[in-house]
Amino acid sequence: MSQTIAHSGAEAHAETVHHHELSFFHKYIWSEDHKTIAIQYLFASFFFLIIGGLLAMGVRYQLAFSGAPIPLIGTLLPKWLVTDAGAIQPQGYNGLVTMHATVMVFLVMMPLLVGVFGNFLIPLKIGAPDMAFPFFNALSFWLFLVSGIILLSSYFAPTGFPAAGWTAYAPLSANGAYNGSQAGQSLWCIGLFLNGLASIAGAVNYITTVINMRAPGMKMFRLPLPVWAIFITSILLLLAVPVLSAAAAMLFFDLNFGTSFFEASHYGQPLLWQHLFWFFGHPEVYILVLPAMGLVSEMLAVFSRKPIFGYKAMVYAMVAIGFLGFIVWGHHMFVSGMNLMLSSTFSLSTMVIAVPSAIKTFNWLGTVWGGSIRFTTPMCFALAFVSMFVIGGLSGIYMASTPVDLFIHHTYFIVAHFHYVIFGGSLFGVFGAIYFWFPKMFGRMMNEFWGKVHFVLSFMFFNLTFFPMHNLGLNGMPRRIADPGLYDFLKSQQPLQIFVSLSAFGLGLSTLIFFVNFFYSMFKGPKAPRNPWNSTTLEWTLPSPPGHGNFPVTPTVYNGPYEYSVPGMDQDFLPQNQPAPKTARLAVH
Amino acid sequence: MSASAIAIDSAPHKVGPNVVRFGMLTFLASEAMLFSGLICGYMVLRAGAGSAWQMPEGLKGGFVLIKTIAATACLLASSFTLHFSESRLINGTRHGKLLLIITILLGTLFLSNQADEWRNLFHEGFWFNTAGIMGSCFFVLTGFHGCHVAIGVLLLIISLIRAFTGKITPHKHGFLECTGLYWHFVDVVWVFLFTILYIL
Repeated sequence: MSQTIAHSGAEAHAETVHHHELSFFHKYIWSEDHKTIAIQYLFASFFFLIIGGLLAMGVRYQLAFSGAPIPLIGTLLPKWLVTDAGAIQPQGYNGLVTMHATVMVFLVMMPLLVGVFGNFLIPLKIGAPDMAFPFFNALSFWLFLVSGIILLSSYFAPTGFPAAGWTAYAPLSANGAYNGSQAGQSLWCIGLFLNGLASIAGAVNYITTVINMRAPGMKMFRLPLPVWAIFITSILLLLAVPVLSAAAAMLFFDLNFGTSFFEASHYGQPLLWQHLFWFFGHPEVYILVLPAMGLVSEMLAVFSRKPIFGYKAMVYAMVAIGFLGFIVWGHHMFVSGMNLMLSSTFSLSTMVIAVPSAIKTFNWLGTVWGGSIRFTTPMCFALAFVSMFVIGGLSGIYMASTPVDLFIHHTYFIVAHFHYVIFGGSLFGVFGAIYFWFPKMFGRMMNEFWGKVHFVLSFMFFNLTFFPMHNLGLNGMPRRIADPGLYDFLKSQQPLQIFVSLSAFGLGLSTLIFFVNFFYSMFKGPKAPRNPWNSTTLEWTLPSPPGHGNFPVTPTVYNGPYEYSVPGMDQDFLPQNQPAPKTARLAVH
Repeated sequence: MSASAIAIDSAPHKVGPNVVRFGMLTFLASEAMLFSGLICGYMVLRAGAGSAWQMPEGLKGGFVLIKTIAATACLLASSFTLHFSESRLINGTRHGKLLLIITILLGTLFLSNQADEWRNLFHEGFWFNTAGIMGSCFFVLTGFHGCHVAIGVLLLIISLIRAFTGKITPHKHGFLECTGLYWHFVDVVWVFLFTILYIL
């Protein structure tokens, strides 16, 4: 009897899936299906990744060959960016630096980590048909895209890109006469405000979905770690992003309506901008790395064929990192003339973050330890994430201590540090995750050989690009100067600058391999089975790609997410929706 | 066995009012952070400005204060009328729509008072760019809040249309309930803003 009830419900649902054919507009443009939205986010962030990458190439070209005209396209570029001969000029360089960072943070990494994998994985992994609010999910994507277009549209303004750095420190940013691009800076404020709305709409959706829409048996401590990571990230987004929105609004009014929030001559306070910005900015750093930590944890467990080492410790460590992220923002401001007592407090709270980060790192090593490791492309990227994150994390501890930071602040040491975390960490994690979930997204496998080539080249060029930056920074190379050749003490650094730039071009080119592999595999890759990696979580019980509405029958969850190599079982993995045989000895109950 | 099958069948395929309310509360946490950011900025700026923090003449007068207190009373009262309207509309008892209309009127009264106040200040030469740091804070804080009230009135009007078209039932009232939560939140924010901008 009860069986028939469940069955008829399933049939009714399957029927709605098949009979409800969506129009082109609702299938690809205004789609409310979380999987389509995830793929929309993916393609949009690929577009912005290429833009942001080209901006970085421009920055590196200028630093190595300042004054030399850009070959081929130099004379085609707008006048705010280049001289008549086609060489980058200082104002244009500042614009490149500013927009490279803004694009990479707000239009590439956040959407890749949260938009793509949050949308794609949460409903599939918790056994839900879709997000709690599909309408707001679609709205979130389109707001994000509009914000990106607004941010980039300043390219066509006569004064060009905003040029006050992605941190937009006041009073430089707050007055068009100082920063040279009133229009660009104003568009920047509007873009970030809309981007914030998109992030908040997404965050509300993720939190509500994870709390309310889990399948029966999916207890919080049975959630796969990517879901946990994105859940915690969403809370950070929810509480940190509105503060940036408030600050961006104040900056916009300063620029265009003559208010004086950040104008010291009218009793405004430039330092207020730094406090508001970094109150958002430090949680933002964890927004950019926590989801990657979750994705990597999953890949390490799958390809080591072992349960994740210390599942609950991993969760608590992420909660701790998320909480601590809100009380350390002052460590970006040691040189701002802030009270020294306050500096030491911020130093201490920052160093405390090393503890949960180390817990995670040791648990990753513990997961891999003694496993039967399979060196697939996603696994290579996951291992690269761990090692690069350790380098970026260790240099972070240097900066946390005020006396050291006074010396290296605003130098290329900082640039090296955050690229190790965001590129070597998060972006490598994302690359791995794309190779890993590509079969589920598009129903085909990516090419493994070219994946490895992409991995080896990008790993190599990444380190050749960013490791020497530590040296540049310690030797005094400041972070945002257009022409290091103008300073005597930097002249001896020039060969290293050129080496870094050439490596950066190599890094840019190696990413092309990824794109070619991606788009070729989308159409011509071998068909993917349901579960190509022998993984345990719920999305792999569905066809690749899963149909609209995901689960024909709502699954019931019996086990934790990482039951690999379970003693007492014939198969080496136990899917979450299969009851364990009596003989099995599970890692987590 | 049968228990688990029923659990499968009644799994959440359509989100109910509880989930919608949860989502709205989550969103309001974010809104609270937005106003916290603005109010913290206000506190820092006011503390730093010292004697340069000058209330304009247009806000000092007793009449202005009385008018604003009346507007505040309207807004506070509207929370109560909305609360009673909500339970009546959901349960289908009498006067629900009438109370909702009164709520909309009270909200509109508040907004028109604010518009009038801004207009007066503008005529006295007190505007975003001419009123020093006090003016910056005053216009941006009240402006942000005013926008929220305006959106709230819009949501109330949509709720009223839903009430007239019979879209509010004991089982389906997520929109109305969210509008209510949002309206109460905007109300509470005003209590803070009124205190710091007009009284302190």
